[in-house]
Amino acid sequence: MLEGKAVMGDTDMKQTMKEDALSLASKALDCFDVTEPTQIARFIKKEFDRSYGSGWQCIVGTHFGSFVTHCSGCFIHFSVGSLTILLFKGSVGEPAPPDRCSS
Amino acid sequence: MSDGRRKKSVNGGAPAQTILDDRRSSLPEVEASPPAGKRAVIKSADMKDDMQKEAIEIAISAFEKYSVEKDIAENIKKEFDKKHGATWHCIVGRNFGSYVTHETNHFVYFYLDQKAVLLFKSG
Repeated sequence: MLEGKAVMGDTDMKQTMKEDALSLASKALDCFDVTEPTQIARFIKKEFDRSYGSGWQCIVGTHFGSFVTHCSGCFIHFSVGSLTILLFKGSVGEPAPPDRCSS
Repeated sequence: MSDGRRKKSVNGGAPAQTILDDRRSSLPEVEASPPAGKRAVIKSADMKDDMQKEAIEIAISAFEKYSVEKDIAENIKKEFDKKHGATWHCIVGRNFGSYVTHETNHFVYFYLDQKAVLLFKSG
């Protein structure tokens, strides 16, 4: 159960994949505390590697900025409660233009 | 100053040979507080020393030029894409955890002026 609605930042994911990301974030927050961002990131990244192929990267935190290159259709940036989550696939493939994110 | 280890920059098509090392970057939530003046503290690295030094130098320069974290991250990432071939990713901030897959020998995580910098290559 989300301790608050997810606030979508930026994404180029298809609906199904996006819903998976939000669902996993919700599950991660059920399993881990907000003071364990690395565990949350690990949980989400591992699941996406399993479901959508390897090469996923996940950043979780309350205060960070980033600049990454990602595969087309494999980028999402959103907030859940006090945390901001950045999930993207940066492995081989046609890289899309870099996206900026900040929390 | 020629960098003998500079990778060939492939323009588009040909996929680079990637050795993915699924490595957990253990990023403790303890904030480093270096004394007055910028001092870099390497927390975790899988990177040759000279490249580490370069990362720190570029980061120091970026911190001087910009104040917004995403701009700092952008500057660092682009410099590394230019000098060491694509594709690098950079995260800068005071509070974050991550779990990433990176190429062997292309990962560094350090603190600079109370902010953490995560720089790694993947893809």
